[in-house]
Amino acid sequence: MIGTLVVKDIKLFVRNRFFLIVTALGLVLYPIIYFLIPDQVDESLGMAFYIEDRESALYQRLIDEPGDYVLFDTEAEMLTALQETGDYFVGLSLPADLSAAAARGEAVELNAYYAPGVPAEARQIFHDVLVLFANAVNPETLANLTRFNETEFVLGNDLMGAPLSLRDRFVPLFLVFIVMIEIFGLATLLNRDVENGTARALITGPLRLHQFFAGKALMGVILAFGQLLFLSAVMGVLGVSPLLLLTTLLLGSFLMVGIGFFVAALAKDNTSAMAWAIVFIIPMIIPSMTVLLPGLSTGWMEIIPSYYFVDSLHRILNFGAGWADVSRNLALLLIGGAVTLAMGTTAIRRKF
Amino acid sequence: MAQPAIAVKDLSYSYGDILAVDDISFDVAEGEVIGFLGPNGAGKSTVVKMLTGQLTPQNGSALLLGMDIVKERKQVQQEIGISFESTNLYEQMSAVENLDLFAKLYKVSDFDAMGLLEKVGLGGREKEHVASYSKGMKQRLMMARALVSDPKMLFLDEPTDGLDPVSTETIHALIRAATQNGATVFLTTHDMVEADKLSDRVAFLNQGRIVALDTPARLKQRFGMRALKVEVELPEGGAEEREITLDEDQTPQAVFDLFKNERILTVHSEEATLEDIFFDITGRGLQG
Repeated sequence: MIGTLVVKDIKLFVRNRFFLIVTALGLVLYPIIYFLIPDQVDESLGMAFYIEDRESALYQRLIDEPGDYVLFDTEAEMLTALQETGDYFVGLSLPADLSAAAARGEAVELNAYYAPGVPAEARQIFHDVLVLFANAVNPETLANLTRFNETEFVLGNDLMGAPLSLRDRFVPLFLVFIVMIEIFGLATLLNRDVENGTARALITGPLRLHQFFAGKALMGVILAFGQLLFLSAVMGVLGVSPLLLLTTLLLGSFLMVGIGFFVAALAKDNTSAMAWAIVFIIPMIIPSMTVLLPGLSTGWMEIIPSYYFVDSLHRILNFGAGWADVSRNLALLLIGGAVTLAMGTTAIRRKF
Repeated sequence: MAQPAIAVKDLSYSYGDILAVDDISFDVAEGEVIGFLGPNGAGKSTVVKMLTGQLTPQNGSALLLGMDIVKERKQVQQEIGISFESTNLYEQMSAVENLDLFAKLYKVSDFDAMGLLEKVGLGGREKEHVASYSKGMKQRLMMARALVSDPKMLFLDEPTDGLDPVSTETIHALIRAATQNGATVFLTTHDMVEADKLSDRVAFLNQGRIVALDTPARLKQRFGMRALKVEVELPEGGAEEREITLDEDQTPQAVFDLFKNERILTVHSEEATLEDIFFDITGRGLQG
């Protein structure tokens, strides 16, 4: 009986032009965007230098220790590169008498040329570094600078040596986005069945109420999980800890089904189903933004159930996390799905 | 005596402080059509909902086909067909798909959706989405859906409300065919003509109570008054209607005098309608 219901519901989902278009758009556009996003990391903050005094210790040091900077022969060449290549965020022109003036304690004039779009904060930081440099560093002793003992604290996932490309960062986002649409689809189908009385026609026959709910939940999981599976396969991430990834996708689908039930319980018609779905979808998307902007991640976000889905995906796909690393997340996902499903089901029962 | 198809005892139901069904008891024989007549809000639909397991009675008990409607709810529902008051079909599915869905749920083997659709006059439109159907077509499809499992008992809640005469007649024919096949029919309506035409017995429901329950003929005999309506030609021109009450001692003489002394244009006998009787008993009309 449940199988019959699932087939019927999937048929109705596909026949709804809105759901069909939105789903198809997601399944087509997300992979296209995914492959358009650069898969290489470019996290360098290139600097350009023109140093008039080629005998200075600074010049020699920069020549001897190549880094993320380029020395230009003339100031004009440096400015052209700064403007046209976009490879450098700042260009510094150091006059010939810089060392002597600095040593004498005289005011030193430096020209720093910034590329377009460099934030004011970055300029300020660079300015402060220059002031410090000009006042504290004696070029004659530059080679024998005091060394500091550093203690590093990495906040969040340590990306040192394995930086994430934008494409990698987007994978969890796309997976969360595609499954969010299911909240609306499921809520609308469920609400329509209840409000139109078709559910009543079903359960006054041989079908039991729990079978009706089971059919709806199964349909929601199949639709959500199917799309997640398709998108994961197209993006080529299914090979990353397959069993763990599939479990996470399944639990993520389950959570969305629970939220879909909850939205259906609140809705009175299609319009209110859409409105309530948006109310829930927006906060659900917030945790996924932390993958793009790790600085956004704060403690309160852990009260949003989708956080555990995004965080698990991010860790599994981008940092090779194993079962032990995400077991807490998966357990909370399961609990979140079960609680929302139970609440939604209880509320919908009152409508019969 | 054979076991009644429906045996209701002291059934009651309240919505909060509003008593919708007040301690009703009645039996319905197998193969009988019982019409529940009453105005909107009289409690007809609540009775149907309790008997079909949509509501649990707060007091009393009922047996359908010998099964308790509360304890054996699912078994009861397996044996009945329901046509709901409001249209509740899958509008984005075709008529065939709607019927096939329910046939699968009822596990009906070799189900012939087309044959059933032909019977309800929907042959030729079976593949169209139900959303494009008229109200009458939808109601006929609801009736067809109620018949999918070839049920022993049919609950029809206002099956012809607001329908055109053709659709109404199709549904009446289906009800007659179902009873000929031995089905018991529980019909709720506020259309007294329909009830009179289809029901073996009618129950008048008013404010949750059954105020009369009998065959239409006996109700008319007991509560109604028969009359003769005669149109006579006036000497100065024009016509006038006279009424002679039947079943009284002076009736024969009055008829004789009228026919002897007046020029008769038309003669009609008139009997009380169920609506008249309902009004006499309850003091309110069926449309109220």
